[in-house]
Amino acid sequence: MEAKILEILEEHCEEALSYDGGSMMEDGIIDSFTVINVVSDLEDEFDIEIDAKYVVAENFRNKEAIIALVQKLLEE
Amino acid sequence: MLQGREEQEGIDLGMNSKTRFHKVVILGYGKVTGEILQYVFDRRTEYGYELAFIEHEVHSLSITERICSENGISFHRMTDRRELAAFLDRIEEKTLIVSASNNFLFPASLVEKPHITIVNFHNALLPAYPGRNAPTWVIYQGEKRTGITWHYVTAGVDEGSIIIQKDCEITEDMKAYELTERLMDLASAAFRECFADIMAECVQTTEQGFDPGRRMYRSCEMPADGILDLSEEPETIYRLLRSVDYGKHDIFPRLQTSIDGRKAQILRYRRISADKRREGDGLMYLPLGDGGLLKIKYGFTDNESM
Repeated sequence: MEAKILEILEEHCEEALSYDGGSMMEDGIIDSFTVINVVSDLEDEFDIEIDAKYVVAENFRNKEAIIALVQKLLEE
Repeated sequence: MLQGREEQEGIDLGMNSKTRFHKVVILGYGKVTGEILQYVFDRRTEYGYELAFIEHEVHSLSITERICSENGISFHRMTDRRELAAFLDRIEEKTLIVSASNNFLFPASLVEKPHITIVNFHNALLPAYPGRNAPTWVIYQGEKRTGITWHYVTAGVDEGSIIIQKDCEITEDMKAYELTERLMDLASAAFRECFADIMAECVQTTEQGFDPGRRMYRSCEMPADGILDLSEEPETIYRLLRSVDYGKHDIFPRLQTSIDGRKAQILRYRRISADKRREGDGLMYLPLGDGGLLKIKYGFTDNESM
């Protein structure tokens, strides 16, 4: 699962893979449009629904947060 | 000595010969607003204006509050239209209001004040597609090109004289949010291009020359009234799907349809190559002209027959 998420991230925002800070949005690594693309690919890849309430900067602060979000949704 | 150095560096402090505007107020949300806010902030020393930002619509991924916080820009959050109108009405100095990505309609009483100038970004090539959600309508209508317009604001909606326009291609797989992003990039670049002329009040404008009976797109309108007719051509279906796709932004409700006599809603879709086809619950595939498939994920919304 992690490998696939990283693959999706790499496709839309390669910098996200090496980012080790605490807020990709605030640090200008990822913008709201990239988030939409990442969300779309994650939904399709894992056949999950990522509700709008989860599409907030906190859940996209770094790659670990994105992996944790997908993990959580897969377990629901 | 100090004055001489400023002149050498092209820097003017306080009111200067470059502009008569004492104040710039930026109103909006999203990427284009953030970029314009940063640009206008970076130019403030050159022009000597006071800068303020107003967030009228709050978005979860917005970066404008951070830009204001980091740069000490006056930040106001006003989601109430009357409060915002009253705030703007109290401005007494000569002011430029930049409506960057904004759905607030400026009252005529404000627009007509001689010390107030308002410029607005519209995400289409005016006079075509005035009103709301223009990226949706250009995709839905099958347009091949669209663009952006910066124009002066008058009492009518999207009617003022044109400051600058830029156009772009609408590619065959482009979704509404992708086109929106492209238009925001164009708007940001166009604003930088015309900013000096706006500040100097020397813009060579173009009148819109529109038909008074032109269609004005309203926020309550949705292509095909939000109903996806599966008997339509796949390309037409794909165009409708793309036209209302703003990702997780709830611009429109999900498209509704009927499958085997049951009510259903469209959850997601994408164009895929034929070898990627996988059967599963709630999935359908429609053939596209190029040999590819339109994959549609749907969910039934009730157990009743339509």
